[in-house]
Amino acid sequence: MPRAGPVAGAHNRGVTATRGTVAEWAVMQLLKRLIQSVVLEPRVERAIDSLPVKTNALGFDSWGFSPEASKLYYSLAWRIYQYFRPEIHGVENIPEGRVLIVPNHSGQLPFDGLVIAVACLLEASPPRLVRAMVERWFPTLPVVSSAFTRSGAVLGDPINCRNLLEADNAILVFPEGARGSGKTWDHRYRLVKFGRGFMRLALQSSAPIVPVAVIGGEESIVSLYNIDGLARLLHAPYAPVSPLLPLLGPLAYLPLPVKFHVYFGEPMLFSGPFDDEDEAIEHKVQQVSERVQTMINEGLARRESVF
Amino acid sequence: MAQPVTLITGISGGLARLVGAELVKQGHQVVGVDYRRVDAPLDYPAELYQANYNKTRIEDVFRRHRPRRVLHLGRVGNLKERMGKRFDLNVIGSGKLMELSRKYGVERFVILSTFHIYGAHPHNHTPIYEDEPLRAGPAFPQIADAIQLDSQALMWVWRHPEVQTVVLRPCNVVGPSIQNAMSRFLRQPTVPVMIGFDPMVQFIHERDMVSAILAAGDGDSIGVFNVAGRSPIPLREALNLTGARQVPMPTTLAFAYLRLARLVAPTIPPYMVNFFKYPCVIADERFRRSFGWEPWVSEVESIYSTVNRGQSDGS
Repeated sequence: MPRAGPVAGAHNRGVTATRGTVAEWAVMQLLKRLIQSVVLEPRVERAIDSLPVKTNALGFDSWGFSPEASKLYYSLAWRIYQYFRPEIHGVENIPEGRVLIVPNHSGQLPFDGLVIAVACLLEASPPRLVRAMVERWFPTLPVVSSAFTRSGAVLGDPINCRNLLEADNAILVFPEGARGSGKTWDHRYRLVKFGRGFMRLALQSSAPIVPVAVIGGEESIVSLYNIDGLARLLHAPYAPVSPLLPLLGPLAYLPLPVKFHVYFGEPMLFSGPFDDEDEAIEHKVQQVSERVQTMINEGLARRESVF
Repeated sequence: MAQPVTLITGISGGLARLVGAELVKQGHQVVGVDYRRVDAPLDYPAELYQANYNKTRIEDVFRRHRPRRVLHLGRVGNLKERMGKRFDLNVIGSGKLMELSRKYGVERFVILSTFHIYGAHPHNHTPIYEDEPLRAGPAFPQIADAIQLDSQALMWVWRHPEVQTVVLRPCNVVGPSIQNAMSRFLRQPTVPVMIGFDPMVQFIHERDMVSAILAAGDGDSIGVFNVAGRSPIPLREALNLTGARQVPMPTTLAFAYLRLARLVAPTIPPYMVNFFKYPCVIADERFRRSFGWEPWVSEVESIYSTVNRGQSDGS
């Protein structure tokens, strides 16, 4: 059966849709309240004010990033960041100008991305705004999609990425994609195969790659199993089963207060044709993924406690 | 010396009238055609005809006036007529206009398509360039006539180089004289917005669109061009500028509402709901480069003038 688009299918669902609508509305109100209750963090305000961003007369860039609106979202992100008490290492390795930040992906929800983004804004000097390349599912999610957009995230698409690199932005990209964040417990801290797109873009735009290892993400929300059928039903990339589900119910999907350790590695610069054969690109991609895996292993060996 | 003749289709529409006025000012002779009755008289001299673009009467106009240029601005919007009639006018009619242009030695043919054919889609990147796929079709088959009109014009560009053809794909054209779905939407005192969505939207003011059409008619580049105006702004910011009361509603409800409202009065076509959720931001660098064109009216002024609100009226 052909899969209907998110909107085309919407009005065929009848009763489910109405119930979905009420639930959607309730979740949305909750999210809105949460966002509105956030108090602006002065450190975030100062950092965002210092960014060299180009916006139009109303204060937006073409993708919808808004320095003003992002102060609110980054202040909320800052609170979540503090919850994980992250230790940031090597943030000075991020070079000036265009760069691809390439970490491992884990933990079901993109808290790893959030921690990296806040670290780049508040720990790097001068502050860097990362433009995160997001999974294709996110633009279909109400509230979340506009919060992401206003904070500078964009759909993970080669043209978006190329345009942002050409404008000397720092791009955050998870080459493992949803396969990485949806990892189950038995695969923790083992990278799944990296996509090749980021390498072609790095070559095309002559952008250095900063490998990053995030330690702690895997323990923040644990998944034992992925229910494929449910994921398809929700149009979601995966539907994790938490071991805490029988004990906590839906609260099992709140992240545990694990301590994050983030290691920014030294920039890697590659050269060669961006439209080379897959095999040649693959060879370069492997150098990055091996570097990230090594950094993960070192980080894990150095870690004394999960919390 | 005989004045150069320009044939303009859709002359009942606000945009075509403005283009005609500008041409007359520049010393052109204007011949206007529309399938509708031209109700309000024009305030400048022009020969006017009521003719369907797909019927033989249109050939008389070509035969009699021998236009040097054709500005085909009369694409029928998706809510004005039923699908069958739209197909006849937009697809068969435009084909006929192109065929006649070739037969009667028209030098330049400018056709107004629309950015709607790219479709607003969650997977759209920013910006969208001219060579990209037209995504609107699969989700909303009602837009098929617009897509076919555009593709057929594009085929003409290369197949018949003796008629220099330019296809323009403008973003939302707005302004005090414009009566399209987006302008009417902006003028509503109360508007539905999609809960949790606020996509980037582009508006081009009628004055800038007129100068873009004239630039396309005067220039010598051919092909397909996006026309985007100034920078994109979030939809809700635009509505804040109009002062409309925004009623957030879920997509399901919006669809139901639009389907019902259509029975009573022309309103936004349901396919536009996606344009209230997902971005469809186009790039017009190619047009600016090829025709040396630049928009002048600001984002804010475009909205204000459409809803007849003064710049000084702040809130």
